[in-house]
Amino acid sequence: MAIVKRKELSIGEKLYLPAIFRGLSMTFRQMFKKRVTRQYPEEPLPVNEVTRGQPRLAVNDDGTIRCVSCGLCEAACPAYAITIDGQETDRFIEREPERFDIDMLRCILCGFCEEACPKDAILMSDELELADFSREALIYDVERLKRPVSQLRPRLDYVYKVNERW
Amino acid sequence: MDMLISVLVILAKITCIFGGVITLAALTTLAERKVSAWIQFRHGPNRVGPWGILQPLADGVKFIYKEELVPDGANQVMFYLAPAMVAMPAMMGIAVLPFAAVSPLYQDTGPLAIANLDLSVLFILAFSGLSIYGVILGGWASNSKFSLLGALRASAQMISYELALLLSVAAILLMAGSANLVDIANDQQGSIFNWYIWKQPLAFLLFLIATFAETNRHPFDFAECEPELVAGFHTEYSSMRFALFFLGEYCAIIVMCAMTCTFFLGGFHVPFWADAPWFVQAGMFLAKICFFLFLFIWVRWTLPRFRFDQLMGLGWKTFLPLALLNLFVTGALVAAGVY
Amino acid sequence: MTKITLNGREIEVDASKPLIAACEENGVDVPRYCYHPGLSPEGSCRICQVEVSEGGRPPRVVVSCRTPITEGMVVNTETPEAHETRRQCLEFLLKNHPLDCPICDKAGECTLQDYSFAEGQTEGKTEEPRRKLEKRMDLGDVIVLDQERCILCTRCVRYQEEVTKKPELTNAGLASNTYITTFGERPLTGNYQGNLADICPVGALTLKQFRFQARVWNLEKESSICGECSRGCSISAEVLRRNEVKRIRPLFDADVNKWWMCDTGRFAFEHFNDAERLTGGLVASGDNLLVTTTKDALARAAEVLGTGGKAAVVGSAWLSQEEAAALAALAGALGTKAVFVSPEANELKDDLLHTGDPAPNRRGLEELGLKAVSAADAAAAVAGAELAVLAGERVLAGLADENLGTAKLVTFDTGPCLAAGVEVCLPAPFHIEKVGTWLNVDGLERNLTVARKAPAGVEPLDRSLNTLHAALAGAGAQA
Repeated sequence: MAIVKRKELSIGEKLYLPAIFRGLSMTFRQMFKKRVTRQYPEEPLPVNEVTRGQPRLAVNDDGTIRCVSCGLCEAACPAYAITIDGQETDRFIEREPERFDIDMLRCILCGFCEEACPKDAILMSDELELADFSREALIYDVERLKRPVSQLRPRLDYVYKVNERW
Repeated sequence: MDMLISVLVILAKITCIFGGVITLAALTTLAERKVSAWIQFRHGPNRVGPWGILQPLADGVKFIYKEELVPDGANQVMFYLAPAMVAMPAMMGIAVLPFAAVSPLYQDTGPLAIANLDLSVLFILAFSGLSIYGVILGGWASNSKFSLLGALRASAQMISYELALLLSVAAILLMAGSANLVDIANDQQGSIFNWYIWKQPLAFLLFLIATFAETNRHPFDFAECEPELVAGFHTEYSSMRFALFFLGEYCAIIVMCAMTCTFFLGGFHVPFWADAPWFVQAGMFLAKICFFLFLFIWVRWTLPRFRFDQLMGLGWKTFLPLALLNLFVTGALVAAGVY
Repeated sequence: MTKITLNGREIEVDASKPLIAACEENGVDVPRYCYHPGLSPEGSCRICQVEVSEGGRPPRVVVSCRTPITEGMVVNTETPEAHETRRQCLEFLLKNHPLDCPICDKAGECTLQDYSFAEGQTEGKTEEPRRKLEKRMDLGDVIVLDQERCILCTRCVRYQEEVTKKPELTNAGLASNTYITTFGERPLTGNYQGNLADICPVGALTLKQFRFQARVWNLEKESSICGECSRGCSISAEVLRRNEVKRIRPLFDADVNKWWMCDTGRFAFEHFNDAERLTGGLVASGDNLLVTTTKDALARAAEVLGTGGKAAVVGSAWLSQEEAAALAALAGALGTKAVFVSPEANELKDDLLHTGDPAPNRRGLEELGLKAVSAADAAAAVAGAELAVLAGERVLAGLADENLGTAKLVTFDTGPCLAAGVEVCLPAPFHIEKVGTWLNVDGLERNLTVARKAPAGVEPLDRSLNTLHAALAGAGAQA
């Protein structure tokens, strides 16, 4: 602990006026600097493969869904946002989702589902916008979650790149 | 017939000038937000109309739709009356502001003002002094500690600054030899060096600073003082009643700016163009007002708020002696025939 | 009893059982695929190897399921040698096992998965392709065989030979080309095929009905009693998302059903998921039934029964002892004796578990003095009365084909009654939703527990009956 004695102000400082004018000139100069606000709807947020947006289901080039409804994302989901029912399919993977609902209001975009997925079927897309007029409309079903894998490719490559480090 | 025409002329003047000033007040709220945004690297309101020009309209609609809350235990009559008691005196000041030397209207002699009073300076100062009652009553009637503290501060502040304000105006009146705003303005016509600001720099400084305090503006807005008192005297107000407080505050600012122009910057007179047409004079007057409005906003977003005891000390111990000194020196100079 | 040393602990064990059973009884977990306590040990999977030292000789690693217990044996399950041997066996088992856990229905209750995880076997060493076999072999109405997933433990083969005495499965082919199949690819037969899916340690044998229906970790598994015959097998009712019964599996019960249950009981759960479930009261108004609360409907039932007149009280064979006692007391208050509808014996009787009698609590109801009557006799009794109380799960189904006359009916069932004279319908829980007691065909007490919570509005039946009885008694006292 030290006793600090406040500096005596000079007459110029006591007048405050020079300081006030300095402040005013500074704020005046500020007015002509570049704005940092992003005009959001017109000027979208920059997204890249690291962006963890809403989860989406990858669809192969032949139009089949990758998901085998194994339920691991459902189990990994900390917000209980995912609900899956499976059904049998004639394809090689034997099972595909009959129902795959993600309650986007519950989803916290944590990416655990993507991490849990053994089939690279659920990926965090770069889609971030979420607005509607009812809660029901924001429970996304399979059709609304489907995205061609080409659209999710950058994210997929990124996930592989990150996982290689482990 | 003449009677009818003169009534119509006065009504037309009231409508135009009053409407114009109210619109200017509304635009000032927009300017406040825009300038503050620019100073902070933001854009400010830009969604309603081009450059957000219709934002005040949207705000007004919003205010109308807001719920009117009256706190428990509030004095109903005073609570309802206070916003009007703030807004009305502020708007009354508009009546005597001269916008041009000669009125262009039919059969209307004299300057372009709603009323050309010989004591117009006194009229404005008297009414602006009244508006403090609305603040005090509103704060007291709200039955809220924050509001009451805000009201008390407003009254103390008013007393300490009104004095300096009046004394610095008194020096002007001495020089002009009249309490009529038109006479004061006419005394400064012609060269830019005829402006009183060159002869009365101290009075200008004191008057300007006192107007900040008089209109409860930053850095002297102790009656509101968000960090300490939530919103001061209008904490409990909502909806259009709050909007009235707001409108009153901005009208008072405009009137004060107009007075500053008239006292120190030649009022409606255009420099080096003594007999300019009326619309050039009115435009000049508005431009000068707008500069001071910008100054008000600029200062608000630059300076931190004073401490209340600093404000009181400044008022009583610095401004009052300086204003008295200024008055004596001016009086002596006028008596000696220098001014 | 024989003394052995297990992981440094001196214990006394039953020498008639294999070593792995002694380990399990003493809390030492030894992995196993081919060993099943209900089947003869075979020792084909080799995963249960432990280190054993006998008579002071140096320790060696042996399969614990085929090793007889001898006096003074020193058993060590956790030595590095034992672990390493098991790990190498596991590697062989996994060599041809497909990596389709995300698809496999067994995932989550698969011991191969669990042990691979525990041993950290994350990557295979072989570069050769896994063998390709039939992924979807249809083995009749109940079972689907995935030959690729099979690890050839032969539990299923032994089960068919030893338990059902129908040797219909076999391992065919030689050495690394061995696979499980049926003789001549004929479908499996019998009423005990479902157990194959339970005993299969991997996802090779799966139930057709449960295939891809749910992930097993999402199922809430609670014990209850099967109500399809008077044997009263212990079951585990597995409920998805708190409302839908997805699967029923046997629970081990040494006195009744051991590890097994019949397919009749296993697949009799669709009615638990009925969408037409009654969850509140229904009160007759003109030709319609109005929905109301259980409480109001009970009050209305008391009014109907309070009008007096000749009464008939009919229960179902699914009543618990507690409910039957409450029903008998209510019948006494109405001046009659309670009877129960006795379903007719069916053709399913066999010498393993099924008794052929669909009434699970016949013995208990008869001990309580309720008379077993046929559906026709019960309907005649109702038709001959002015008032009738029909209570219990499936009582309405039992009387569905009969003419109930014009008696005023108060019914307690899981669904609504649409007969002509119905006055009040009240909800009742299924037997998997209630606490109670049944006496099975051998007189053993079978304790019902709540495997699934009854929907809101469904009161326990004995409580509803007692409330009704009390209301009647109160009304009588006032009159």
